[in-house]
Amino acid sequence: MRTDALLVALAFSAALVTGAAAHHSGAGFDSEKVIEIAGTIKEFQFTNPHTWIQILVDGPKGGTVEWSVEWGSPNSLGRQGIRPSTFPAGAKVLVRLRPMLNGAPAGAFVGAKFADGKTVGRWE
Amino acid sequence: MLTTARTLPIFVVVSITLVRGVAAAQGESATPRAYDTLPDWSGAWSMVGGTVFDRDTQTGEGGAITPGVRSHPPYNAEWEAIYKSHLERRDKNLFPDTISNCGVPAGFPRHFNLPDPYEFVVRPEQVWVLTENGPNVLRIYTDGRKHLEDQWATYTGDSVGHWEGDTLVFTTVALKGFRDKDVILDRTGLVLSDQSHTTTRIRKIDAATIQVQMTIEDPKALTKPWVVTKQFRKMPAGTRLYDYGCAENNRNPADVETGKTLILGPDGKPLNKE
Repeated sequence: MRTDALLVALAFSAALVTGAAAHHSGAGFDSEKVIEIAGTIKEFQFTNPHTWIQILVDGPKGGTVEWSVEWGSPNSLGRQGIRPSTFPAGAKVLVRLRPMLNGAPAGAFVGAKFADGKTVGRWE
Repeated sequence: MLTTARTLPIFVVVSITLVRGVAAAQGESATPRAYDTLPDWSGAWSMVGGTVFDRDTQTGEGGAITPGVRSHPPYNAEWEAIYKSHLERRDKNLFPDTISNCGVPAGFPRHFNLPDPYEFVVRPEQVWVLTENGPNVLRIYTDGRKHLEDQWATYTGDSVGHWEGDTLVFTTVALKGFRDKDVILDRTGLVLSDQSHTTTRIRKIDAATIQVQMTIEDPKALTKPWVVTKQFRKMPAGTRLYDYGCAENNRNPADVETGKTLILGPDGKPLNKE
């Protein structure tokens, strides 16, 4: 299945999806759906209260769309071995996320896979 | 003419008298328990379970809003109506978490309902319960002082206590509660009034578990005492805690007009304002 910005849409059980963000309600994200985007990492904001992975995705009519993918706090992720260098700028990546309910280019992080096969987060 | 040498002793005597006066007013009289007789609560600890304050407020598909099923908290009719209105707004994503905009403490008793690590620092004269999230500090005085008669209300209140064996028992008073609409207990919208006060018992029930039992009383909002128990599991040895700079990059503020939790795009504009 191919849409404008999404390469693949995957139906995952909500139970597989990472928990809601700790600092705020996760109500803006679709807990029933996981989608996959392919793009280039622009920036990994390794900041409190939550980290954000900024990804540039080719748009349907040329140009790029910047996606914002929210993840846990840098403190929590850091204790699990994640570092600012985990998502280096310029790297090509596939990212799975729970999308925003209103279709805006953002979502909650689920997992990622790099060109060399390395995965981060939940990627079954 | 007084010389400096003659003036200094007078100053010192007056200063000591003033300090003693303040100490006496705060009831600092008892001798704190010796450090080496106190329990070892060192390390990092993580709350067991999610951040719903009381599991008995959460029932089935309808969540906490299911009428007639939820048993806690024992609100009177006026505060039950307040809570129900919060639940209805919560279900529409219009009940903001008071800490989403950064800047205010989580408050008590929410202090024992936070994600991320905790530290329980035991000293003879005080116990500090530190939370990475926030960050927040709960100071519990164990030096024999009493609550001030004229203590003004704050988010975390005033806590004084004592040891019963290896159990720390303390009371917390002078809480703002929901008076200024900026203290909640969890995201279901649980709130207490500015008349709430709590007796808390903390003890280590096994090598890896600290238990916190709170008996909450609130003559304005509750019909009877509300007992809530939280447990904290020991994290791996060597766990580090870090800054929690909530305002560093807060892309999820609550909209002050609607209460909706916003998600900001890379340009700082909301992606879900509508």
